[in-house]
Amino acid sequence: MDEIRLGLIGLGYIGRIHLRHCMKLDSADLVAVSDLSKKALKTARDAGVKKTFTNYEHLLKSPEIDAVIIALPTHLHLQCAEQAAEAKKHIFLEKPIARNTAEAKQIISATQRNSVKLMIGYPLRFNTTFRNANEKIKTGTLGDIELACATYISTGPFFHRAESHTPKPVPEWWFKKELTGGGALIDTGVHMINLLRWYFGEITDIKSRLGYRFNMNFEDSATCLARFKSGTVGIINAGWFSQDFALKVELFGTLQHTNAQLLSPNRLLTAVQMLTTGSSKFYQSHFAELQHFTNCLIKDIPPSPTGQGALKDLEAISRAYKNQIQLNQTWA
Amino acid sequence: MSLVSFVKIRKNSRDSIKQAILESLKLIDYRFQKQSKNVVIKPNMCYYWDYSTGQTTDPKFVAALIDLIRERISTDTNISIVESDASAMTCKYAFKMLGYEKLAQDYNVKLINLSEDKNGIIEVMAGGEAFRLKVPQTIQNADLKINIPKIKYTMENIKITCALKNIFGCNPYPKKFRYHPKLEQAIVAINKAMKFDLCLIDGIIVSGIQPRKLGLVMASKDPVAIDVAAAEVAGVNPRTIRYIQLASREGLGNTEFIPKGEPLDYFKDRYPKKNLKGKMMSKVYSLAVNTGLGKRLGLE
Repeated sequence: MDEIRLGLIGLGYIGRIHLRHCMKLDSADLVAVSDLSKKALKTARDAGVKKTFTNYEHLLKSPEIDAVIIALPTHLHLQCAEQAAEAKKHIFLEKPIARNTAEAKQIISATQRNSVKLMIGYPLRFNTTFRNANEKIKTGTLGDIELACATYISTGPFFHRAESHTPKPVPEWWFKKELTGGGALIDTGVHMINLLRWYFGEITDIKSRLGYRFNMNFEDSATCLARFKSGTVGIINAGWFSQDFALKVELFGTLQHTNAQLLSPNRLLTAVQMLTTGSSKFYQSHFAELQHFTNCLIKDIPPSPTGQGALKDLEAISRAYKNQIQLNQTWA
Repeated sequence: MSLVSFVKIRKNSRDSIKQAILESLKLIDYRFQKQSKNVVIKPNMCYYWDYSTGQTTDPKFVAALIDLIRERISTDTNISIVESDASAMTCKYAFKMLGYEKLAQDYNVKLINLSEDKNGIIEVMAGGEAFRLKVPQTIQNADLKINIPKIKYTMENIKITCALKNIFGCNPYPKKFRYHPKLEQAIVAINKAMKFDLCLIDGIIVSGIQPRKLGLVMASKDPVAIDVAAAEVAGVNPRTIRYIQLASREGLGNTEFIPKGEPLDYFKDRYPKKNLKGKMMSKVYSLAVNTGLGKRLGLE
């Protein structure tokens, strides 16, 4: 196989970014897309996609498709991934792998049963800054890392910047915990848990403090304290409460400290770059992860981050939800 | 000329806000009427942006006002906090996320989504345009209607939003962008259809180019006068805001006002002004929207 024929399922926020990137991939051809929105499908056709479907099951029946990118709401991951695996399509699945560990296991099992490859979308692993930090850890430049602080705080689905932005309707599923599996921790915290596991190995213990500023039944902020197999203690901050953007890791070693940070995107510049070149500096790691996925399929080697790794992320999150600590407003 | 009061909130506590509201009402000679049975309060709820952004009325401000109403009118007064669904905002989530559901429980007041309320149709003319508008029953039946807007810059051509624009949110029709081609006339028409008795501006946090704590309460019985005063606080020439001028011509109030209380300049000096970069961004944004590029860039 020297070129992968891709299908893209879901043209929401991240799906539209994948659409642009797919059109730029040398090793793949985007054959078809599916989405419920006819307007979104027109955008895809305008971008050069020949086949569009309002039902992803029809896309999965297309024999010319080798692999699919699934960028659907989390509650649809299991059903779609199982059907894709049954249809013998390799799968690139957006994070979090599923709403819970039981669903994640079913997805992994379906891919194993059907001998298809599964990769989970964790773009930070493909970001040069975060890769350099990993290099410093692995080469011992920093010494033993005693403490790591990983932070991903952003707008989340509800709190986009007020200035200069016209508010957009929030899809209903974001308001329902039973459809998302949780709040900020499972949505953005999962990136940082995956990254720190890559740096320091498995999590051996984790506790959380969850915040509910917006009075919903899911957390809009989370601080986790985790112990890793390497002995490192990690503080993981996730939040949906800020109109500003912070995505960074601070590593405190016995020899040196270092920071890795993804800077806030300039929205106008990013939009212009995406429109003119199909990619942007901010989203370069999203492009790199798709390149990795398709290259692995061509070479017939397993892609990474894996489904098993994503399951471990969810196991850690599940434990964090169970092991909550309460902080009082005043000294008890 | 109408009276407009300016009062500084001493501390960011409910008691301090209550004192400031009371003082602002005294300065404009406003007294609650004992016979008011049904009171409607229209805060400004904007998307899911909470009070800290300066876009949404602080529930603490509304709580302080409810305390005053219960003290000055009656503990039995029937109070409804109203808002309607908008193009991008659903009331049922906004009430919860912005802290109003908790406020309603704590203070035993009703939350009314005007988009789900019964309504009557009326026809109104404004600026030569005819509008057929739904007037919600809760607003029709109220004997005291209080408007609690924010002072905000906007990227739209209307420049600033405050009291008159907040009543635009009483229109139960959710797809409000439909009115945007005739926004100025629509704002005035809706104000003509639903006249409020009292305006109290929550200026605890104001939104200019960046939200900032200003600690201001303004009060007036005249929505035009208070908008003129708010524009001056924000450093925008009210004569350049067409919907305010139109509202005055349509008889909704006076563009001249008598300031009472703290000097207007005290707040004007502290209001976060647009710098050159902000002005340029507004121009670029307006250009992008007006040329249709905004949609392609995902800015709309």
